[in-house]
Amino acid sequence: MKIVAAKKILKANDQLAAENRGEYDAAGVFAVNVVGSPGSGKTTLLEALFAHLKGRIKPAVIEGDIAGSIDADRMERIGVPVVQINTDGACHLDAVMVASANKELDLSAVDLLFVENVGNLVCTAGFDLGEHLRIIVLSTSEGDDKAVKYPAIFQGSHALFITKIDLLPHLNFNVNRINADMKRLAPNAPVFQVSALRGDGIPVAAEWLAVKVAENHR
Amino acid sequence: MHELSIVEALIDQVGEELDRAGQRGRVLRLELNIGRLSGVHPDAVRFAFGLLSAGTIVENAEIAIEEPRAACQCHACHARTELDDLVFECPHCGAAEVTIEGGREMTLQSIEIED
Repeated sequence: MKIVAAKKILKANDQLAAENRGEYDAAGVFAVNVVGSPGSGKTTLLEALFAHLKGRIKPAVIEGDIAGSIDADRMERIGVPVVQINTDGACHLDAVMVASANKELDLSAVDLLFVENVGNLVCTAGFDLGEHLRIIVLSTSEGDDKAVKYPAIFQGSHALFITKIDLLPHLNFNVNRINADMKRLAPNAPVFQVSALRGDGIPVAAEWLAVKVAENHR
Repeated sequence: MHELSIVEALIDQVGEELDRAGQRGRVLRLELNIGRLSGVHPDAVRFAFGLLSAGTIVENAEIAIEEPRAACQCHACHARTELDDLVFECPHCGAAEVTIEGGREMTLQSIEIED
């Protein structure tokens, strides 16, 4: 006999993601899923954004890594509450891992939560974690063709952060090309050009996030 | 290899569907739809299924995968083109004003069990 199911395979993940989102909404937390390649500068970007928003927002971070706590240690050093998830080899976070990390945080004392995903442009695309926004981080040294080569992750993202913009004079990276590709894949997503180390573009990007956090409180 | 966690979710889901239907029979065949733009590779799903199905209710089940195509809807010439791969321009007129529809689904369509 045949049982007709016709259900999404990741239905269980999506349901738990919706519960995570409900928990964030109840606590007034604005949650951002941060995706990008290993070494694209996700953690350094978060450090720069937190430095700019210091005293104005109550941040927290969930760090997803295959192993170790290097990124979580960096957050602790700047005084940001952090929970480290080690995926033991898994190439992406899922809603189950994030739900257990939420329990380790005092969400009532947080208004901006970054969930820094495992560095990966493929596997992270399919898993809703319960975030309100997904931002993709692409460094100039990775090349301007990445949106075309990994369309799914760019397509589902709400903003693009081009990092290491200070390296542009040394690279063959065409900002117009990535802008045009992003426009087609995610027409409403703003593109921020930043150098987290030098500070270029950080104020504009941080204020954009501050507005999102304020809107979430309304 | 996110196919591993996808197949894990699939096996759990088959269990839930069987419980819901009150069935205990051996699973013979699963039908899946995996869209061509889903970022999931059918061969990797089959490989992961071989690894993860051992000792579960779906051990030795056949797995049949349909790969629905996406479509490109052009807003300039209004042509609708079926796609195997993502495009950024209308394959007919080259316009960039296109909407890509479908091709991203990942569903468990049906479960066949021994009577």
